[in-house]
Amino acid sequence: MRYLKPSSVSEAASLLESSQGMILAGGTDMCVYMAEGFCSPETLIDLTGIDALRGIQINRDDHEAGTMIIGACTTIAEIAASEELPTCLRQGAQAVGSPQIRNLGTIGGNVCNASPCGDTLAPLLTLDAQFVLRSAGGTRTIASENFFTGPKKTVRKPNEILESIELPIASCGKVSAFRMIGNRNGQAISQVNASVCLAIADGRMSDVRVAVGSVAPIPLRLVELERFLTGKDIQGMSLTELREPVLEAIRPINDVRSSAKYRQEVTVALVFDALADCAGQYSRVGEGASTC
Amino acid sequence: MKVIGKQVRKVDGFELVTGRAKFAGDYQFPGMVYGAVKRAGVPAGRITGIDIEGARNTPGVIDVLTARDIPGPNLIGVLPPYDQPLLAADEIRYAGESVVLIIAETAEIARFAANLVSVSIDPYDPILTVDDALAPDARKIHEGGNITLSKKLLKGKGKAALEKADVVVEGVYETSFQDHAYLEPETVCAVPGRRITLYASCQSPFHIRGHVAANLNVPAASVIVVQAVTGGSFGGKDDVATEIGSLACIAAQRLNRPVLIAHERKESIIGSNLRHAARISSKTGAMNDGRIIAREITVLLDGGAYASESPFVTMKTLIHAAGPYNIENVEVTSTSVFTNKTYCGAFRGFGVPQVTFASESQIDELADKLGMDRLEIRRINGLKAGDSNPTGQVYAQSVGLQETIQVIAAQPAPPAHPDGGRYLYGTGYASVAQGISNGAEGIDVAGASVQMSQDGSVLVGIGLTELGQGSRTVWAQIVAEVLGVAIENVSVRLVDTDAVHDSGPTVASRSTTVGGMAVLKAANEVKKSLISMAALMMQTDEENIELRDGFAILKMDDSARIPVSSVATAAYWTGFPLMNLAFSKAPEANFDDDTHQGDIYIAYNYGTHRMDVQVDAMTGKVKVLNHFAAHDVGRVINPLGLAGQIEGASLIGFGMAHMERINYAGGIIQNANFADYALPSIKDRIPTNSIPVEDHNPTGPFGAKGAGEPPVAAAAAVFANAISDAVQFRFTKLPITREDILNAIQQRGNHG
Amino acid sequence: MLIRFTCNGKAVQLEAQPEARVIDVLRDELGLTGTKEGCGRGECGACTILLDGKPVNSCLLLAGKIADREITTIEGIAGKDGALHPIQEAFLDKGAVQCGFCTPGMILSTKALLDENSAPELAEIEEALSGNLCRCTGYGKIVEGVLEASERLRQGSHHRGDVS
Ligand SMILES: Cc1cc2nc3c(=O)[nH]c(=O)nc-3n(C[C@H](O)[C@H](O)[C@H](O)COP(=O)(O)OP(=O)(O)OC[C@H]3O[C@@H](n4cnc5c(N)ncnc54)[C@H](O)[C@@H]3O)c2cc1C
Ligand code: FES
Ligand code: FES
Repeated sequence: MRYLKPSSVSEAASLLESSQGMILAGGTDMCVYMAEGFCSPETLIDLTGIDALRGIQINRDDHEAGTMIIGACTTIAEIAASEELPTCLRQGAQAVGSPQIRNLGTIGGNVCNASPCGDTLAPLLTLDAQFVLRSAGGTRTIASENFFTGPKKTVRKPNEILESIELPIASCGKVSAFRMIGNRNGQAISQVNASVCLAIADGRMSDVRVAVGSVAPIPLRLVELERFLTGKDIQGMSLTELREPVLEAIRPINDVRSSAKYRQEVTVALVFDALADCAGQYSRVGEGASTC
Repeated sequence: MKVIGKQVRKVDGFELVTGRAKFAGDYQFPGMVYGAVKRAGVPAGRITGIDIEGARNTPGVIDVLTARDIPGPNLIGVLPPYDQPLLAADEIRYAGESVVLIIAETAEIARFAANLVSVSIDPYDPILTVDDALAPDARKIHEGGNITLSKKLLKGKGKAALEKADVVVEGVYETSFQDHAYLEPETVCAVPGRRITLYASCQSPFHIRGHVAANLNVPAASVIVVQAVTGGSFGGKDDVATEIGSLACIAAQRLNRPVLIAHERKESIIGSNLRHAARISSKTGAMNDGRIIAREITVLLDGGAYASESPFVTMKTLIHAAGPYNIENVEVTSTSVFTNKTYCGAFRGFGVPQVTFASESQIDELADKLGMDRLEIRRINGLKAGDSNPTGQVYAQSVGLQETIQVIAAQPAPPAHPDGGRYLYGTGYASVAQGISNGAEGIDVAGASVQMSQDGSVLVGIGLTELGQGSRTVWAQIVAEVLGVAIENVSVRLVDTDAVHDSGPTVASRSTTVGGMAVLKAANEVKKSLISMAALMMQTDEENIELRDGFAILKMDDSARIPVSSVATAAYWTGFPLMNLAFSKAPEANFDDDTHQGDIYIAYNYGTHRMDVQVDAMTGKVKVLNHFAAHDVGRVINPLGLAGQIEGASLIGFGMAHMERINYAGGIIQNANFADYALPSIKDRIPTNSIPVEDHNPTGPFGAKGAGEPPVAAAAAVFANAISDAVQFRFTKLPITREDILNAIQQRGNHG
Repeated sequence: MLIRFTCNGKAVQLEAQPEARVIDVLRDELGLTGTKEGCGRGECGACTILLDGKPVNSCLLLAGKIADREITTIEGIAGKDGALHPIQEAFLDKGAVQCGFCTPGMILSTKALLDENSAPELAEIEEALSGNLCRCTGYGKIVEGVLEASERLRQGSHHRGDVS
């Protein structure tokens, strides 16, 4: 096996092109795959030596628009600890594995691994994140909603590197929250996770985004539910009224981690709790609550 | 008492906190090679061919062994005739069964090559349930049929007495398989020689020695088994350690190179014994005043592919099924059955958790039917000294159950919670008794040596193993107390079959009691020498001397004292023996084989738990608010160690009751890793408050009884009762997962 | 590949495959067998080491990643005079160690926590140790050990506790 550790993105992109190797970031998924024999790459291209891929940057063009740029190799722990980032993303990052895993694992790895239970995926969807893919031939930007195509499948081509994740500053100005449930409290893989991101004016919800993970082959936006919530009072939501719009939108499966029925039931509960968290943040900070 | 009952540090703790302790995988020898096995991968069938070419041609592979290469009978087990092959020769009885052993320069190569082996198997329809195994026309998994052992217990008129009862409650209860999940996977390291040495992570070195010798076809005395520091066992490192220990020794002798075999986590789950899954049908009859007059219980254990400890677990469930109650008429049948699944054997609690869950659930149901308080019904029926327990055994003392009930009743009541909110609250109680010593399972002897050096330091040797439970500390305390020396001056050697006496298996909560008695006896003999010598030196009578604070002291004049090192030196030169090898033998069980009436255990540990829970009705998530665990341990020797045992065992019971389940599909385990097999993490811990009750036990050192196992059963049962109380729904299957809880809440909601 | 890094305060240079796991390099090449392997998949925390002061799973860490970085293993936390670290002392005094297989990883996760946060709350302790499984203790005594260590570190006293 060859192990390469380029120090710039362009070097990495051309190595990837010429070697047809596999990308290694934190390695928390890759090392498990290699140990299990699921993959045995001839060349590994380790991105963690590239400083430009790390860290969070804010590009503000004027006070309304602009983007927040997260380097793909920013660790999950750094995401969880960053006070600049929206709550749902930080909470999602905090739910990944254990401190040890979060110190190694990267957000780019979580995205490219594209597991339906990835804990940052639903938050990224609700934040209208854009993924910037770079190859030797150039870059292209894909909306998070169009990125995932199936379990562990994405539109990323083997010669493309996820360079960064861009969040519209506008999303970061909203209120957001993430909830998950697993088979235990510590170090659990999500049986279901849910993220909610919305604006609140006069107690009423607008520009609502809701996404859930682990209940479909890909992380899923619940557009019907978003529509349903729009204009409603954030404080007055009940579990019962959420049931139908949530259950209509999701197609969970039975697997070793839990049954489809349980997944359905707790999805409703997690969306409810995430909304309640948003309501709490709103009432604490007041109108225009912002986490950025 | 200077040391007994005091909080002391673990005597072997220094090595563990510094990383210096040598676990089996830490041994390194020049020229060492590594073993890995190819497993069957299908649950049942007949081997029609094995292709080892690919493996043999892999660079770095040194040797490939199949059943034909085993010099001895290629069998292991607990009770003869042994039934489990080291490497399957023709029949496959479970998917995790080892078929081919690869030896290579590195563990990675060995594993890689194992994957290249192809075993052709003509598959049978696997037998995956006890019902299928017991069907009249079922294929026989073993020549003798599909029943491992079936036994009956009959006290009084048995089930016939149910007719006299005012009320009868009836139910069927089930529990799942559970993995030991010790943090250190099974590991052994064999070093060849005229006398071969095996360093093993294991529980019973002499048991391994016997099997290694037999399978190598050499005398037992030519094999040396050294217990490496062992990273947890809980009953699990017995059969599997004999399996990989024998394989490593055979390969080492063939190649004349040291061989290390370390299981991966997956192998530890699929290829070593589990806790038996059980189905328990139970009827309890009582009078309107709450007195239980009869119980009828049928226990069916799924033992998996091989007998292992199943016969003993069968006996244990038989004896414990009716619980710690004074009941005139009891009838129990207990049967363990072969299936094409991973074999089951010893696991902390040894069958008692399963039957206690059933029994204690039913006691609650009975209380509800009678409209009685759930703790009160346990008090009314609970055993007292002088009562006859379900085997008809009567103990004149050390039956502390009632005291544990009182202590639990005296705990502050759980705060009242408003009805109707998102959270449901409940409280559960459970009582348990667990026999100490081998009891009906066999003769119980332990041998221990105590040896004082001329400098007054002491070395203790015993054939029982330290597995993390703190036994070495307990033995050191006993010796320090008797010889009046500081515990820092007492060392307990590791178990080396060349150097200590066979003391039987480290099971059945017997280390403190039977083991401790042997240590106590040996220490007392050394004490006699020291006292005699000191009496000579002080020119006084022996009864005027005591050993204390590192001195031999004249009782009537504290200032007349000689350092124990001087006494020891003088004793050495005078020829007074400073070493003693003593045996303790538990009184033999004496019972009727047809009815199991008679004297079985040297004592029982009794316990009562209370648990308060909060349940999230939206997700089924549970929070344990309080957990009180009162146990009659006879006498507390080391409070720190005891609390650790009760807390650790309780969390294993909680895991069994709430989180842990082996998922089979078609006879293949689906969750053989720690992500999907969810043992509790620190965020899942429960706030166990251990409360020792001391009812002096005449058969244990300083009155002590073992305590390592019973909390498992009580914690599992009390969780089920607390959750059932919160949800107002009787759960009859363990584990009761979040999903089960949510289902029950919704069902209950739908039905009003 | 020649890999240079700092291990327990000492500069190390060794020839290793960059795709080798750090746990194997530590145990097999450097003889630091205090780092334990309980699962090899990042699920148990027994292999925890500190990488630039942060806990990571050495079973998921490839040797190529530690070049020019600083590693701490259980062998590296005792004082220069060989005296136990206050965390080690506190774990012994509070009964936080049973079989000891999880212990090196637990101690290192605890060290990373207390280096950052000298007076952690209960929930912070649980979060910090949530990647370290223990099957023996039920965790209660481990939490007590961490609290005790935090107390002693803040008081700068390394004395042994109230042990007879
Ligand atoms: C014990 C354990 C627990 C875990 N728990 C969770 C959990 O609770 N929630 C959760 O979401 N995940 C969990 N994970 C999964 C994993 O930690 C995360 O997915 C992590 O974010 C992966 O990041 P990485 O940097 O380690 O990825 P790597 O393993 O390095 O890579 C993952 C995949 O992404 C590709 N890749 C990585 N970076 C890029 C890039 N920049 N461009 C293109 N392709 C790239 C790799 O080629 C590979 O296919 C867990 C893993 C383990 C071992
Ligand atoms: S061995 Fe690395 S986490 Fe288990
Ligand atoms: S002490 Fe044994 S696993 Fe923690």
